[in-house]
Amino acid sequence: MKSRTTREPLILVAVAIGLLVASGSVRAHHGATNVYDMSKAVELKGTITKFEWTNPHNQIYFDVKDDKGNVAHWIGATEPPQVMLERGWTRRSLKEGDQVTVYIFAAKNGATVGNVQRIVLADGRELTTFGAPRGGAATPPAR
Amino acid sequence: MRNRLAVLVALCLGVITFSLVLRAQTPAPAAALAAQGPSAPSKPADLSGDWAPDGRRGGIGQSLSISDNGGRMRGKEIDIPYQPWAREKTLSERTSTGPEPSFGSTTDPQVLYCEPPGVPHIYLWPIKTKFIQTPEAVYILHEYGPFYRIVWLNSKHPDDPDPQWWGHSIGWYENGDTLVVDTIGFNDKTWLDQMGHPHTEQLHLTERYKRLDANSLELQMVIDDPGAYTKPWNAQRYFTLSKTGFLRYQQICSVRENQRFEDNLAKPALTPVK
Repeated sequence: MKSRTTREPLILVAVAIGLLVASGSVRAHHGATNVYDMSKAVELKGTITKFEWTNPHNQIYFDVKDDKGNVAHWIGATEPPQVMLERGWTRRSLKEGDQVTVYIFAAKNGATVGNVQRIVLADGRELTTFGAPRGGAATPPAR
Repeated sequence: MRNRLAVLVALCLGVITFSLVLRAQTPAPAAALAAQGPSAPSKPADLSGDWAPDGRRGGIGQSLSISDNGGRMRGKEIDIPYQPWAREKTLSERTSTGPEPSFGSTTDPQVLYCEPPGVPHIYLWPIKTKFIQTPEAVYILHEYGPFYRIVWLNSKHPDDPDPQWWGHSIGWYENGDTLVVDTIGFNDKTWLDQMGHPHTEQLHLTERYKRLDANSLELQMVIDDPGAYTKPWNAQRYFTLSKTGFLRYQQICSVRENQRFEDNLAKPALTPVK
């Protein structure tokens, strides 16, 4: 039997590979590495102003206030609804007034737009833009 | 003597095993995968289920090139045998997605005009696929459009098919686990994939849909277009069973919705900041 210390690096490597594969699939359609800084997600605390559940990409509008009270209007995109349903989202996942922390791959040119990586709601629930939903079984097929 | 015989047998077994392993890892030549017409009658393959692109095996990708799924080597892929004009045409296109997207100023006719993506381009969209199997035909339903294709079983192509978006498809089953779809009669208005690979009306597409296990479906394709490529080449896609079911949400190409995305997200991201 392998010791725990021997196995841990292997598990870490497996997790890293898994994340790379997952991130590859999430960026598969709009893998715009020259437009968005995909190397790191920016953390933004803000308030949802609108959530559009729509083709060709969902659009999440949110306001971020800085220390001086200036408000920046941000827009984040996700994959379209049929993909986000697979990942545990619905059109009611976000609503106006929700206090959120958004992790976003922002535009390289400094515009306040980007591709959303994940969103943490005030109650701690987390919406990821890739992979299976956390903390529950997938939604059963709707016919 | 007995020992030498045992060694000889072991060596032979080793060589056979090694060659089988090599064979399993090497993609079959395109010609071998191309449709040769139905052989022995076969029972229908079980293709039931709601099939989503398999993110663990390439996902939807950007390019049909097996060596360049992400589209970073456009025009230089080692597995696409371009004719010179086809390479130039590919490089002249502005893609809507991929490593260097032009978003709304793309030349992709599917995005620019909301025209049908055709096949195999449909499989580079994040949508699900479903097969309705009858004795007469297999209906392939796509969550995008929504579009559908009819694959006629026990049938032949027309002698002079009218060139159309989805071509004319006939099909048959092989080995009890594979649906072979043979399509000709395409128009030349679609791209083969997101990276702008062109085709002509001479395109002859062979698709082999094979259920690998309860949750996995493999699609092996041969793109045979002597008008654009110097020889047939292979492409592939993999699917996994969907958790949410087919067509719970319709992927529609709407000029109005595309424009809204362009105005709100694409243009700000592409506009140089002063």
